Amino acid sequence: MKKLHILLSATTISLLLLSGCAKVQKIDPNHDTGEQVMGLDYRDFNEAASKAVQSMLKSPALDNKENKRYVLAISDVKNDTMQHIDTDQLIKKIRIELLNSGKVFVTTAVGSNGNVDSMNAQTRELSKNKNFKQSSVAKKGTLIAPDMSLSGKILQKNVGMNDDKQQVEYYFMLTLTDIKTGFAVWEGETFIGKRGSSKSVAW
Amino acid sequence: MKKTTLIIISFIVLLFAACASKSYVKFVDNSIKKQIEITDVKKRVKSNGFTQIQVDGINKTGKYLLFKYRVVWEDKDGFEIKSISSNWSDFSAYKNANFRINIISPSRKAVDYQLYINKD
Repeated sequence: MKKLHILLSATTISLLLLSGCAKVQKIDPNHDTGEQVMGLDYRDFNEAASKAVQSMLKSPALDNKENKRYVLAISDVKNDTMQHIDTDQLIKKIRIELLNSGKVFVTTAVGSNGNVDSMNAQTRELSKNKNFKQSSVAKKGTLIAPDMSLSGKILQKNVGMNDDKQQVEYYFMLTLTDIKTGFAVWEGETFIGKRGSSKSVAW
Repeated sequence: MKKTTLIIISFIVLLFAACASKSYVKFVDNSIKKQIEITDVKKRVKSNGFTQIQVDGINKTGKYLLFKYRVVWEDKDGFEIKSISSNWSDFSAYKNANFRINIISPSRKAVDYQLYINKD
């Protein structure tokens, strides 16, 4: 019995030591030579966002004739993959680039749930609160309605190849809509395909 | 005589300084030169104020090749403008065929660029 205790303790200590020594490597996004994974990782989102932004900036869709910035609202971007993706991983990169381009202002006053800042409404309620200097409270009728809306979908399609291989196709589909007319003024689709072992999990 | 020489030297120095462009295309790995060649680089400022560059090249080999590129953009004062196009992007070159890279600047402020090409 005592021997068994010693053996168990030794095994536990060895396991703890081994897990403690397991090397953790920090990813260098500027020089990432890591293996590709069947699922979507940050490299795929970078690629999809970069292609979408380049395509949008090359198109005249965001060129305002009055030389003003358009106001862009972020609408629904549906995750139609088998993975738990926050679509903000894609949209945030696009928003940053478009904002920095000087072609748009992105509104957080209206949009899909995750893209609305509730402070826009909450701070206006302060007009009822006498503790606040009323001249500093945002007045009613100052929010600017959006001219454009960005919506889209990330789609996944799995194709079985043979016993031990699979093909996973990802489609990043985005649409820019002119809200006044309802016309889609820009549309983009980026395809990212991966082939690998069917044992690799893509969800 | 001395004055004339000084004026000529100053003129040459100024001429070279004016010609030294801050924009260029560079191979990160010299071995790439054996495989592809850059044949033309065009730069224009579009009517909306954005700078567009187009790089033409040729794949000199009998193999389909995959490379990657990244662009670093700078404003008129030489300060870097952070952009998603500063990340590496893939591009392909079919065997014995021309290839083209076409990029638009991230903003109107971006006037100069350094385009780096590397092996995939």
